[in-house]
Amino acid sequence: MKFFFTYDPDYALRLSPCPELDRPDGTRALAFLTPGLPLGLARVVLENARRQVRPNWLARCGLDGAVRRLGPAGRSGMEWSQREPRAAVLRALAASGLPAREWAWQEIRESRDLAPELLVKEEVFSTRVRGRQLSEGDLTRLGRELGLLEEDVLRLAELAVQSGAGEWVPALVRETAGWRCQRCGSKQVEEWPDDWGTAATCLSCTCLGSLTSRQALYRDRRRILVSSAFRFQPVGELNSAQAAAAEQLLDFMRGKESEALLWAACGAGKTEVCFPAIAWALSQGRAVLFAAPRQDVVHDVAPRLAAAFPGLSAPVLTGASSRRFAAGELVLATTHQVLRFHQAFEVIILDEMDAFPYAGGPMLAWGLQRALAPGGKILYLSATPAPEILQRARRGACRLIRLPARYHRRPLPVPRWVKLTMPWGAAGLSQCPPALAAELEKLVAHGPVLLFVPEIPWVERWVAVLRQTFPAWRIDGSWSADGDRQAKTARLRRGEYEIFITTSILERGVTIRGAQVLVLAADHAVFGLRGLVQMAGRAGRTADFPGGEVVFAADRRSRAVVEAIRWIEEQNRLAAAEGLLD
Amino acid sequence: MNSLLRSGWERLWRDRGLPEAKALARSLIYQDDRVCVLCGAAAGPLCVDCRKAYLHPELGRCSNCGKLIASSVSLCTDCQLGKGPRHLDRVAAWGHYAGLWKDFIWQVKFQGRPRLLASVGKDFALWALDRLPPADGVIPVPIHPERLAERGFNQAEVLASLLHWQLGLPLVEGLVRVRATPPQVKLNRQERLHNLRGAFQAARGSGLAGRSFWLVDDVITTGATLEACAEALRSAGAAEIYGLCLAAGMEKMLVGLEN
Repeated sequence: MKFFFTYDPDYALRLSPCPELDRPDGTRALAFLTPGLPLGLARVVLENARRQVRPNWLARCGLDGAVRRLGPAGRSGMEWSQREPRAAVLRALAASGLPAREWAWQEIRESRDLAPELLVKEEVFSTRVRGRQLSEGDLTRLGRELGLLEEDVLRLAELAVQSGAGEWVPALVRETAGWRCQRCGSKQVEEWPDDWGTAATCLSCTCLGSLTSRQALYRDRRRILVSSAFRFQPVGELNSAQAAAAEQLLDFMRGKESEALLWAACGAGKTEVCFPAIAWALSQGRAVLFAAPRQDVVHDVAPRLAAAFPGLSAPVLTGASSRRFAAGELVLATTHQVLRFHQAFEVIILDEMDAFPYAGGPMLAWGLQRALAPGGKILYLSATPAPEILQRARRGACRLIRLPARYHRRPLPVPRWVKLTMPWGAAGLSQCPPALAAELEKLVAHGPVLLFVPEIPWVERWVAVLRQTFPAWRIDGSWSADGDRQAKTARLRRGEYEIFITTSILERGVTIRGAQVLVLAADHAVFGLRGLVQMAGRAGRTADFPGGEVVFAADRRSRAVVEAIRWIEEQNRLAAAEGLLD
Repeated sequence: MNSLLRSGWERLWRDRGLPEAKALARSLIYQDDRVCVLCGAAAGPLCVDCRKAYLHPELGRCSNCGKLIASSVSLCTDCQLGKGPRHLDRVAAWGHYAGLWKDFIWQVKFQGRPRLLASVGKDFALWALDRLPPADGVIPVPIHPERLAERGFNQAEVLASLLHWQLGLPLVEGLVRVRATPPQVKLNRQERLHNLRGAFQAARGSGLAGRSFWLVDDVITTGATLEACAEALRSAGAAEIYGLCLAAGMEKMLVGLEN
């Protein structure tokens, strides 16, 4: 996208991607400079031009980056000659070190009003872009959703910028040592030579489409509006433990603290506990974002929210969503989508905050802070909070709210370690070790078994071996990239398997009635403390099957195994102490 | 490619550690090249499995249009029927425009990753050296200045710059795109040929007369683009023109048998 220097006597120098466009107040540019350049470079030149204007003509750079004539100090009504600012730009360009071009100021003889059919779409456009940060690719896509041509979407965006509702931001900005992406905050870029010198492509946020330094982002300045009439109709009642936690959450919403952690046991119903607080925030006109690390988690929560908040527009934004730019006051999104918002939400609820891809991802932490409106609140939900957040809680920087018991008031199943030496070898697995077969028989008698394995290739191997060993049972498996994953998970939920083999993709969010859990090679490096706790948490979640065995099968009791067992025992102790268990 | 861009890319090849023409034999494995640039899994820059799956060393190339064909024949069925380009002396295309290879080329072109070409530059240059006779220079298929202003680079030029760097072949700005054309994708063969009529002209004063050239583009499908370029070059007196691309289609009968 090219930006052009434009000149008009009222606003002096500005940058615009469509110079011929009339402004909302009826003024228009008189001339523009060709050729256009990427915004990042143009900004630098404009700043230099501003400095070059004679010092006794005070020039001010406004919020929109325009250089305005204020007149020499003390005198008003002086006409700034038409030549002065244009000459300043040409001098700044010459001094900038940019490659030579045939710079020429073009007069604009006729400017263009927006076509009436375009004006009609302006309001819809405005609703959709509120609080958002969109790349050129995003704008094109939004255009398609609205039935607009690419150039028309850009014109609407420029109108929004002219009215102060938004601003244009260079996609990547040079810093002292390198570049910083303005969408995701990353400094990991790939540089390459272009026709203006050096360009850079961000390597971190490619999941949202590519972004280079030649491009600009549209960043809306407004918050998301909460306007629709909705009711809060909780489905079912909160138990005493949940009610206590919900009360504390309301208190947090109303108070002055900016961060809180809800540390809940697996299956304690941490999502429903948030609903009263969400209802309150929405009633106060505060937009809410519910973010989760994976699509499954988001799709698990969406229907529950829809059931509790009938009438509320609550769009679900994931990589797979067909409508990416739906407007709404309660937005559910996978964390990457968060990078498309800018100071949009007063409340952000982050589910499963310790899960991939947060862990070790400063980009997403950065994105969340960017999506939060100033003065906004972040609520973290987790059964296995990361050490950093626990430290902040201990320091008092983050409020800690605990929910250690499941709603059926039975303790969490405590995993037991079973010694199992894995049959390694290049020949691969040929048959099921008898000790494992014995355990599986015991478990299957109680309910469907979720068998967790550390690596994707293991799934198919073990499916084959176990089918051989137990021909009467229904056995299948899945992993993250499995095309049939949705269908298989649905079948699993309906209880159609005796054994289901999976990687950690199913460790969170999923509720299977009567599930028993066996973790194979629980001492494998891939299984950390938090993963093990989450896997154990798949058992005993429903009132009709509150028990459920959890077995960690491993050669030795690794540190993660020991700590996971200790963690779960501690949750049970806390719950018992608070009278939350029967 | 103007001289500023040209020197910019050469500086990048040097800084990235890409071996220069003389040092082609002794080269160190660069950081980026440790994993396969296509599948990211095994040893890079192009792992054994991906080479088999996309570069098809066991298949031949139609000498007229570069399509991947059985090694027992020298022309694809279309070219045997006279449907292919006529103004090129030979064409060589490295891989099959499908799967990860197609994704890779798409990533370079549309995701602002021209630098990725460096990962395959050395192998491509060595392969080309093997398939085509030596030439006086390498000419990239140009894109319209508007397109260049949009994207900031022409992937054919970047490839040509790589070949120049690796093999010492002079990079010749032999062609100019005088007419922007709408994308070829939705057009049939006749429409594509018509689309490109008059789109290219030989650049003045580039000393083409009596010389031989490698004409480089990223992908060849019908050959209409290379054909139109070759016509323009011949009318300026070029003697021999060899087409060279990263990818081409595959003879229909072979598709599906490749695994």
